[in-house]
Amino acid sequence: MDVDLPYKLVPVAELQGHEDRAWHVAWNPKKPTLASCSADKTVRLYSYSSAPCSHSTNLDEANTSSHAHEHPLRFEHITTIPTGHAKTVRSVAWAPSGETLATASFDSNIGIWEKGEEEPDEDGATGDGEWECISTLEGHETECKSVAYSSTGTLLASCSRDKTVWIWEVHPDGEFETISVLMEHTQDVKCVGWHPTEEILASASYDDTIKLYIEDPSDDWFCFTTLTGHTSTVWSLAWSPAETGGYLASASDDKTVRIWRRIAEHKWECVLVLRGHERSIYSVSWSNGKQAEGSHALGWLASAGGDGNVLIWELSEPALEESSAIVKPPTHKLIANLKSAHGVHDVNSVVWCPRKGFEDLLATTGDDGYTRIWKIAPS
Amino acid sequence: MPAEIFNPNPVVFSTSKSGKKPDLSPHSLWINDDPENDENDADEVVEAIDQEEIFDLIRSIYDPEHPNTLEELRVVSAPQITLGQNHVKVEFTPTVPHCGMSTLIGLCIRVRLLRSLPERFKVDIFVKPGSHQSENAVNKQLNDKERVAAALENPVLLDTVEQCLVNAGARGNPI
Repeated sequence: MDVDLPYKLVPVAELQGHEDRAWHVAWNPKKPTLASCSADKTVRLYSYSSAPCSHSTNLDEANTSSHAHEHPLRFEHITTIPTGHAKTVRSVAWAPSGETLATASFDSNIGIWEKGEEEPDEDGATGDGEWECISTLEGHETECKSVAYSSTGTLLASCSRDKTVWIWEVHPDGEFETISVLMEHTQDVKCVGWHPTEEILASASYDDTIKLYIEDPSDDWFCFTTLTGHTSTVWSLAWSPAETGGYLASASDDKTVRIWRRIAEHKWECVLVLRGHERSIYSVSWSNGKQAEGSHALGWLASAGGDGNVLIWELSEPALEESSAIVKPPTHKLIANLKSAHGVHDVNSVVWCPRKGFEDLLATTGDDGYTRIWKIAPS
Repeated sequence: MPAEIFNPNPVVFSTSKSGKKPDLSPHSLWINDDPENDENDADEVVEAIDQEEIFDLIRSIYDPEHPNTLEELRVVSAPQITLGQNHVKVEFTPTVPHCGMSTLIGLCIRVRLLRSLPERFKVDIFVKPGSHQSENAVNKQLNDKERVAAALENPVLLDTVEQCLVNAGARGNPI
């Protein structure tokens, strides 16, 4: 099935260093850095640039130029944050500002990290400041599994095996206020994700469902709909990018990815089931896609899991048929299939780079402890 | 250990002789540096690991609430093991349908295989269909890698697992 696919994933970098399973990776939305986390309780930070020589001199150029990586990209380890978490760091999330990093740990806490003031060294040059824990959010009773910032960065959501979803308000100076504790799921909550522009939160669970929440202006946050259809644990969620909007993808232990479409303000419906994985799907990520242009394009969807494979789907809006009231599914095409992305190991996360000019970059983490960077290219 | 005993009087069966020698060090839980399990030698590995080999790895695991092995209680048996090239499926039979120890037994089997088999093997563990009143719940939990990972970071639970695995290296031979 991997013959004649129009794209392939080309290896760009292989980032080793974690001493145990690498669970998750997050690209900084503003700067050329990324963070990975692991069962070894650390977070590793890397920088990348297309500079022909090493070090961070060209980062500004990389930030602004869409042609930045016509030179080969170089990835470099910046630092390792020991975190102090007593157990596995299960996931990481950047605030939209790119200045703050949140960690979710099996020790049931959430860590909030910022880089300290850069102190000039003896020569007057500014060195790298240390990453410091500016806040620890306690409240979950058992393993915290996922954490996510809202699009404006004013809200943080977290979830846990304790079946709850918490919403925290982000105040200045590392202060956080619990504004809601949602107890809708009947089992572990595996993943939380915010809509790219609106304050809608989605959560995925071991109870096989997805729940969507909004705030009642005169009252608390509440679950306005439950999406059912998956026949086992829902591991991961990905909203369609802001430019396309209106869709949510979910990945499950039932070996399918489901695409849900917003058919009314508060109504979502499953419009597509993607198959192709042979074991549990642990992660899904949705990007604009670099090549996909035109009003019908919905971008690229990447999925990965226990079979070790990474699948890339190209999605487009269905052609409009005015005579039909039935919601048609997006057209979909498998465009790339990378086998054994981490050798014999499970792939635990797959994440598209969100930064302009780098939309063709993809990061994966695996049970081998590696973070791997891939570039999608015509085959 | 829990106060409640789920099956106070289990039937204990006689065991068969293992054809294999016990691990040189019965307390070594990491045996996957065995040169014959070298990944580079894929053909040999496939030959080296069969149903009996997997059974040998798990037969001497102790039951969490009895001084007997899983083989003696007929919780595990060779015919309940299915092998693919890079895939092992182990089915086990709880001694009673309400056995609250089932997830722990399954966890012990998973940990033993995780530590013993070459990394290329994907392991699925299920209770025998119809043998447990919460069959789906037990199966789901045993095959959720995140729950397994978290369980093994729980010192009390890990200690219990280690107790059950203390003589697993005997591979059916008398200690």
